Amino acid sequence: MGRSLNPVKNIALPLLASGLLATGPAQAEQDESLRVGMSGGYFPFTFVEQDTLKGFEVDVMEAVAEQMDTEVVFETANFSGLFGMLESGRIDTIANQITITEERLAKYAFTEPYVYDGAQVVVKEGNTSITGVEDLAGKSVAVNLGSNFEALLRELPYADDIDIRTYESNIEQDTALGRVDAFVMDRVSASQVIKDKPLPLQLAGETFSEIHNALPFRDTEQGRQLRDEVGQALQTLRDNGTLADISERWFGSDITQP
Amino acid sequence: MSVLDLDYMLGLLPILLSYLPLTLQMAAAGMVLALALACGLAVIRVLKIPGLNAATMLFISFFRGTPLLVQLFLFYYGLPQLLDFLTQINGITATIMGLTLHFSAYMAESIRAAIVGVDRSQTEAALSIGMTNAQLMRRIVLPQATRVAVPTLMNYFIDMIKATSLAFTLGVTELMGATQKEAAGSFLYFEAFVTVAVIYWIVVELLAWGQRRLESRLNKAYSR
Repeated sequence: MGRSLNPVKNIALPLLASGLLATGPAQAEQDESLRVGMSGGYFPFTFVEQDTLKGFEVDVMEAVAEQMDTEVVFETANFSGLFGMLESGRIDTIANQITITEERLAKYAFTEPYVYDGAQVVVKEGNTSITGVEDLAGKSVAVNLGSNFEALLRELPYADDIDIRTYESNIEQDTALGRVDAFVMDRVSASQVIKDKPLPLQLAGETFSEIHNALPFRDTEQGRQLRDEVGQALQTLRDNGTLADISERWFGSDITQP
Repeated sequence: MSVLDLDYMLGLLPILLSYLPLTLQMAAAGMVLALALACGLAVIRVLKIPGLNAATMLFISFFRGTPLLVQLFLFYYGLPQLLDFLTQINGITATIMGLTLHFSAYMAESIRAAIVGVDRSQTEAALSIGMTNAQLMRRIVLPQATRVAVPTLMNYFIDMIKATSLAFTLGVTELMGATQKEAAGSFLYFEAFVTVAVIYWIVVELLAWGQRRLESRLNKAYSR
């Protein structure tokens, strides 16, 4: 027994050590750089192509960091983990089209909005039974877990008749497959999905709620201070047209103006 | 959406494979630690050491009774709100610790069963020729228990490899996290997830092959 265990130890301990050592560099960067969390799964805001993180949010945050003369470090995690990472101080903010809501305002320090958008119903191509949010009664509707579209749907007078299903990911796919009748997302990324991706989907009607997206920070002295610095950088980028440029590049229109 | 985009899958393969070492690293580290912890827990349970036995049963009850994802969330996001120093733990370490605690609870029970399962006559025979308790354990009981425990422990290791796919929730981009993000960029979900499924499958098959060889070695004494 004793002898036969040795090879196991020899392989595993260095592996373990390398896992534990990985704490080192992450901590070292903590003080100087801006640590930004995102899901990496929200096209075209944050996504990965050929192992490279891209998207509107990536470009905006890199511009912000440049403006602040600091480095930006992106941390990707499942959306459901992002606010936990913010709370536990592992990231400084979340750049993932976080919509300002009452509940979130009570808990976090937000910058001014940098994206103005609306909630949009999307259905499978050829679905004529849903032509807007008013047709959702009696239908199954997918929303992303932790997004505020669920709350928007629940505010509707006929909310009880809507079969709201929360997803961790892949709501576009499940709507295209016909597992749910529709999904609700912001108009900007919904239009982009339909334009760029090979899924049979179409917009159903107009947007039904205005949404303002901003960067949340921890509501502590440190967090608010960082919020102010980032907010100032955003304002400069807005004034010198950088924000509009980035938006034009990704969306062909300026979504950063009210 | 008609046929599989094979070019995309082939292009994705090397990218995803570059995340495999991290997945295997977390599983291997988790396995070694869980095995060590499980052996300790099993011995406590077999010997019924007063006090420790009850604590061990509570430990096993909790870590077997709650989902791994819940434990990871508690560990990574919940506890740091109470204990500040825990924010120093990074996602990889937290995943390894979560896997260790969770799987050691299962493994302790399977090791205990293997030890208890060694026929009593073996113990009696060993004691009758004057072996001490330690000798009895080392030379007689544990080798036989190992043979019984190996298949179930390998099962847990296989399960653990797949359980590392939860690490993306803690911000660790491992095999599954990389796949999810690539799929979000291409919207070729089917292709991306088929590719990752094949990778997991091949890895597990290789392990199963290793397990069969190990088992036939351990069974040598019994197969003549």
